[in-house]
Amino acid sequence: MAIPNLNTRATPKPAAKSLWQEIWKARWCYVFMLPSLILTGMFTFYPIFASWYFAFLDWSGFTASKTFVGLANFQEVMGDGLFWGAFRRSFIFMLVSVPLQMLLSLIVAIILNDKALKLAPFFRTMFFIPVVTTTAIVGIVMSFIFSPFNGPINRILVNAGILSRPIDFLGSADTALWTVIGVFVWKWFGITMIYWLASLQTVPADLYEAARLDGAGRWALFRYIIFPLLVPFAIVILLITAVGSLNVFALVQTMTGGGPFYSSEVMEVYIYRTAFGTGGGGSVPRLGYASAAGVFFGLAVMVITLLQGLAVRGMRARRAS
Amino acid sequence: MNWFDKKEKLSRRQLLKLVGAAGASAYLLPLVEQAYAQGISIPDSGATLPSDNVTLRWVDSGDQKAVFFNEFFAAYQAAHPNIKVAYDPLPWNEIAQVVPLGIRNGTAHDVFQLPLSVSGAQAVSEGWVQPLDDFIPNFAEWKAKFPPGIFLPGITDFEGKTYSFPFTSNKRYGTHLLYNKAIMEQAGYDPENEPLTWSSFREAAKKITEQGNGAYYGFIMGGNQINRWADVVRGFGQMAGAVGGTGAQITADMNFLTGEYSYNTEEYIAAVELLLQLRDDGSVFPGMLSINAPQARAFMPQGAAGMILQGPWNIPQWERDNPEFDFGISTQPLPDDGDVWPLAISEGGANGLWIFKDSPNAAVAGDIFHYLGTLEGQTQWANIVGAADPPVMPESIANATLSPRAAQALNMFNEQVKVGPNPVVRNPDIVQVTLEMRTPEPSFAQVIQGLYTGQLSDVKAQMQDVQDRYTAELERAIAAANEKGADVSRDDWVFSNWDPRSDYGAEKYDEL
Repeated sequence: MAIPNLNTRATPKPAAKSLWQEIWKARWCYVFMLPSLILTGMFTFYPIFASWYFAFLDWSGFTASKTFVGLANFQEVMGDGLFWGAFRRSFIFMLVSVPLQMLLSLIVAIILNDKALKLAPFFRTMFFIPVVTTTAIVGIVMSFIFSPFNGPINRILVNAGILSRPIDFLGSADTALWTVIGVFVWKWFGITMIYWLASLQTVPADLYEAARLDGAGRWALFRYIIFPLLVPFAIVILLITAVGSLNVFALVQTMTGGGPFYSSEVMEVYIYRTAFGTGGGGSVPRLGYASAAGVFFGLAVMVITLLQGLAVRGMRARRAS
Repeated sequence: MNWFDKKEKLSRRQLLKLVGAAGASAYLLPLVEQAYAQGISIPDSGATLPSDNVTLRWVDSGDQKAVFFNEFFAAYQAAHPNIKVAYDPLPWNEIAQVVPLGIRNGTAHDVFQLPLSVSGAQAVSEGWVQPLDDFIPNFAEWKAKFPPGIFLPGITDFEGKTYSFPFTSNKRYGTHLLYNKAIMEQAGYDPENEPLTWSSFREAAKKITEQGNGAYYGFIMGGNQINRWADVVRGFGQMAGAVGGTGAQITADMNFLTGEYSYNTEEYIAAVELLLQLRDDGSVFPGMLSINAPQARAFMPQGAAGMILQGPWNIPQWERDNPEFDFGISTQPLPDDGDVWPLAISEGGANGLWIFKDSPNAAVAGDIFHYLGTLEGQTQWANIVGAADPPVMPESIANATLSPRAAQALNMFNEQVKVGPNPVVRNPDIVQVTLEMRTPEPSFAQVIQGLYTGQLSDVKAQMQDVQDRYTAELERAIAAANEKGADVSRDDWVFSNWDPRSDYGAEKYDEL
């Protein structure tokens, strides 16, 4: 059956604009976007695509000769125990540092959000100073602070009778990674605190007052007023903090270099070591192999994040039903 | 009383005096520097130098070289007012990035040292560099004055041309004993007159630690600098009789009498166990695993440890920066049975300099290389640098004014270090094996560190594992090189006419 075209005459169809016309219309927007597009292309997209390409090469990174080896680098990466060790440590780093950083900074933010606290701006600044201090400098200074020879931490612990002999925090396989995690949390704690403070300030003051009038204590105020309002912010802060916990190169490199004997080697340090041959004792640079490790790790993180997202969605769906 | 202790405010008069002094020093300093620099006289080499204004760009790994070159370039510029030298002393990790990037972009320095991970053969085959023959005046005559083992085919020379100039000697080693004299004397040892043995080294470390009672310890080293572990075990093992090479992976720890690696030898295993014994005795500086070699070096003048196993580059540094630090130097602790073997080096020269293939200032570089390779230049080098980087010409050591410690170190090296065979010189195709060879991970050095931290156990089994992995990798690299057209066999590593107690000169290769 033919369908009569009822509208053809009543309302004439507006002339369809081509994509080019649309772009031309908004040309100034594109012109203004151009500098950042070019820079993003050069410094974000190009390195990403280049590392995908390099991952298929046997290439030191400095010679002209590059050999296409297909998936050989990926096969080698998957068979390398040191890669999996670094992979595991990167996740340990994230799983330990993120909750610690989120929780501690939330507690401090809630305390500092109290208008009755006159010294709040001072403490805020104090907590924020490590964030703006150069990471490499923090790493070097911390290696002095944790030194077992005249380092203040060991001295305090020994003088207080807690330790009988100084501990080499950064030189012992049992403590190196945990010490770096501790310093990382201390260093970046201030920025998470600022995020929390910003989100706490979105809670309207009259809500607090109303709850207080209803007789809500500190815990009830947090549990029923602050917490539910913070949840959407918490998800964003969690994401930012989790991504930050995978960017730990400068701190690990300056504090332990991934040692002793790989015990604090996280993925970034592994990639750096294999890319530039900095393992000592005659290591050779292998940019192709390091790229494969980086690509594989990136994909693995992506898959884990997707699975996590699916799990959360599944849980929500189950709860809703 | 210290000026700052007076806790007074700066008066106007004092301020004016200070400003005046600062101003005067700003004027005077260049004059003083110039006068000092004039101590170096540079004879005319006969080079045809540019007459217009040029800038020679030079990058090397600095350290003691920077001490010399800062002074030398000032003198060179004074002698050639139209030539400016832009000198960049950089740490090795920066050289590893700056040099290859500069070459790729066509903006490399005129003169550079190669990154540690790039061999001369690679630089030549990649076309990074150009031969020196045409730029150094009276080249043949100049080259002939060097002792044997400095210019070697496959190392400095390629297809009959000379590409690199190693202007210092490799005859040194990085694990000899340097000690705090007062602490050592108190413990009852005098290594200068009675060298320590493995046993007395361990005893001394223990005694010093007890004596220090937490204020200082027996032995220190930069334990988070991975290569130091290999250096110490290699030095001890080889001096005890597991003779072999050093340097690149195709020569390091290779016994050229058998063509096998030495990792599983009794001597290497005993050397690792000695380190573990020092650890178990509690004689080692407690933060040893979290400091690198320069940090360990800096702890010595602070009185944090009695002994360190390090190289001669510590001597001028401590003498200059810590003149109050009374330290002695001695040989690396000797094997208990008294059967001491020399250490072998794979090539005679060190600090090879290369000229960028597109350098417009190669003539200037050649003129400077010429001076560095004359007896006068070598003597001047020894005067300024001392034992840290020994000059390549032995006569210049006799001519130079050296500190007693530096002279002692250089004499010790001449006795304890010999030029060993180099498979690349014998068969240039081995260069292709070096390109294929990848150091197995965990490396020899990392395994020793793992044993020390307790993350690995069973020294013998671990050293056998290192031996097997390194041998397998060498064989794989040889097979890969042969597949690409090289003609190499394991026999190329066997030098039946090698006497580890004497230098292996060019004539020895002809006998093979």
